Amino acid sequence: MSTAIDQQIETFQEQFKRVRDEVGKVIVGYTEIIDGVIMSLLASGHVLLEGVPGLGKTKLVSTLSDVMHLKFSRIQFTPDLMPADITGTNVVQEDALGEKFLEFQPGPIFSNIVLADEVNRATPKTQSALLEAMEERSVTVGKRTHKLDSPFFVLATQNPLEMEGTYPLPEAQLDRFFVKLKVDYPTIDSMHTIMNRTTKIKEPEVNRVLSQGEVLEMRKTVRAVPIARPVQDYAIRITLATHPQPPYAQPLTMKYVRYGSSPRGAQALVIGGKIRALLNNRVHVSCDDIRTVAFGALRHRILLNFEGEAERVDTDTIIKGILDNTPEPN
Amino acid sequence: MSDKDTIISWLERVERRIRANRLFQELTVGLTLFLTFPLALKIWDLFYPLRGRTISIVVGVWMVSFAVYFVWRLLQKETLGQAAASVDRKAGLHDELKTALWFIRNPRASDWVEAQIQRAARSTRMLEPERLFPRSVPRTSYIAAAMILVFVILNFVPLSWNHNWLQLQAAPAFSLTDKEEAAMKQAVELLQKAEKLQQNELAERIEDIVKQLQEGKIDASQAAAMLDDVQSKLDEGNLDLGSINDGLEEIAKDLQNSNLTKATADAMMQKQLDLAADELRKLAEKLGLNTPEANKELQQSLQQASQNPRPGLEELLKQLKEAAESLKNQDQQNAQDSLDKAAQELDKLEDQMQAQQLKNLASEQLQSLEQSLRQRQQNSQGKSQQQRDAQQKSQAGEKGKAGEKGEAKGGQPQAGQPGQDEPGDDERAPGEAGEPQGGSQQGSGLNPSGQRGGNAPREGAPTELDVKLQQEKLAGMQDKGSKPEDIEEASKQERSKLDYRNVKSELSPAQKDLLNQDQIPWEYRPLIKNYFQAIRPPVKK
Repeated sequence: MSTAIDQQIETFQEQFKRVRDEVGKVIVGYTEIIDGVIMSLLASGHVLLEGVPGLGKTKLVSTLSDVMHLKFSRIQFTPDLMPADITGTNVVQEDALGEKFLEFQPGPIFSNIVLADEVNRATPKTQSALLEAMEERSVTVGKRTHKLDSPFFVLATQNPLEMEGTYPLPEAQLDRFFVKLKVDYPTIDSMHTIMNRTTKIKEPEVNRVLSQGEVLEMRKTVRAVPIARPVQDYAIRITLATHPQPPYAQPLTMKYVRYGSSPRGAQALVIGGKIRALLNNRVHVSCDDIRTVAFGALRHRILLNFEGEAERVDTDTIIKGILDNTPEPN
Repeated sequence: MSDKDTIISWLERVERRIRANRLFQELTVGLTLFLTFPLALKIWDLFYPLRGRTISIVVGVWMVSFAVYFVWRLLQKETLGQAAASVDRKAGLHDELKTALWFIRNPRASDWVEAQIQRAARSTRMLEPERLFPRSVPRTSYIAAAMILVFVILNFVPLSWNHNWLQLQAAPAFSLTDKEEAAMKQAVELLQKAEKLQQNELAERIEDIVKQLQEGKIDASQAAAMLDDVQSKLDEGNLDLGSINDGLEEIAKDLQNSNLTKATADAMMQKQLDLAADELRKLAEKLGLNTPEANKELQQSLQQASQNPRPGLEELLKQLKEAAESLKNQDQQNAQDSLDKAAQELDKLEDQMQAQQLKNLASEQLQSLEQSLRQRQQNSQGKSQQQRDAQQKSQAGEKGKAGEKGEAKGGQPQAGQPGQDEPGDDERAPGEAGEPQGGSQQGSGLNPSGQRGGNAPREGAPTELDVKLQQEKLAGMQDKGSKPEDIEEASKQERSKLDYRNVKSELSPAQKDLLNQDQIPWEYRPLIKNYFQAIRPPVKK
């Protein structure tokens, strides 16, 4: 019994490592970002990548789809993008007898991996088209609901600069992202590697190392990892501490936070913790795991109040304060 | 043993280990903290000596407190969950044991859970509690040891006013001055020397009085009275040394008339009675060798000497007279016996006179000690009297002022009642070290020993202000002004019952929405914040 589980864990780690290594052939550095993206995929979540243009966000997503046998589509969000451009629409067709009928033409969302590039440039109406798809894994056009293929994985990117003419994502939509990852500038060493790889005749190629079925199997493995009540309680207390209301509110949250994380935040902490436990060859979730995933899972779920925004408080600072002040269970 | 049992028993071992370490650590810390108290008390004792009873109570309370603390900590056990958490932290197990323990206590049918418990059991087999939680001597134990050492050293500091608590020494309730101590010791020594007078019991009595005084059982005035009593007992049966000396001189002069008793007479003139006795014995031995003329001369000399009646010399004179008569009767044997007896009387007289001298000296020392105690008692009473006077004056002053303001309602201001205003004087413990107490005597005209008479300043009856304030009629008053109207209380401060929060806004929902819109550009936000902070009313501290 134990050997079977050990085997399962070993397979999980091997497959994860294979994907990471393959992506790493193209994407230099960003180990945490790559891990975060793969983790979100395995946790059945979606990722919001935030970073200035040119840091390889789109490349990361396209490479990820390349290394897996998954269908990939890219949607460039613009102010004139319409919901139907994402979901697809019913088109009038004519059959052999000349009778007209409506046929659904699926949009780019009908893929396994969807890159929503610069998602904050589209209007809220278009952005909301993503909502149902992200949460329900289905698209409703007219009176018909169309199921999306599994796995369905949305990677949205947004540019923290150039806020003019953008539509910041509403809180409800932000909450649907499993994690928000910040893509920073690469280091000098990473830059050298990027130059070496991208300025030659032959660019690196990646192999497909993971099938759709394997991804789904890995997802099952993640869900099977047990978590003890005290550790789960720790995750819940951290989530509740993001709220400015007592009893778990902390000085920083009371001062700078308007709304805290929803229960989805706690879910993200637990599932993220399970994946980290597997990667660390453990069959249980530890408080360390919870702490490690806390930043990605909570930073976009904390809404600052006016004072916080005026003082340009970073939500990571608040999360760090919460982690420092939330005692581990004994 | 199953994996679950392995984990539980291992955690129990760890729990015991942790508890032992914790106990050791906490007890040394506790001991260090607790030791500061007796140490501070000892330092205090060096400057302001404490009585034995005070030390006993404080140290007793201290020991009981520490024992209670010890038992309390001993009974406090760690839970297995805490032990598991400690091991997880120490061994870097990432909550493995904590999780396993939880799953053992909350069983779940899952292969993954079983695998987790199996792994945890494997981890425990690889770990040794002794290595994870090694025994170590906490630093605080060194501090505690140093404090104990300092405490012991402080007890043995060679200062006259230091008392060694380890030898159950403490400051007496009443401490004698060096002079008084010396006087007391000398008196006791002198009385002990005067064994022939059997004054040992008086010496013991004096020691007992001083002991009672030091233990606080009696105060200085009582001690002085008791010493007075001892002195009067000591004076009982005193010899009149002056009269005896005069008598001896007269006897010596008479004895000089004979050559045979000249040596005896010279010794007696020089107050060397033992030598005189020896000379008399020699004379008695050689009595048969003398010529009849010499014996006649001796007989006349003895006869003459025996005719000097003095109190205390009766027996000596009787023997001298008998010797003279025996010589007259030619009874040589009786004369020799009488002279021997006279010699014995001289020896006895010598002893009695020496003892009397010692008694006189002891009496002088006792008198000095008694006077000193009375003086100190008088001084302390004088101080408390001054305090009472000052208090009475202040009370009288306050009442007088009150009367002037018309608050006395026609009554007369009363002076303080002596003996009633200060119950604290009576309740005070009789004498901390170095401060002689006034005892329980209070009232006017008492001497320091609490008896009427003596030279203590007399206190007269309290003076009374015999003044009645008259109501003054002011212009415009209808009556004589005999009904003053008192204002019972100040005006009350009240709050409005209208809650600020319930004040309804006159704004329409549309206006509110407009106001609530957040359209402030990023660049302006700090400026706006600074503006509002600048106009914010200052916080009252």
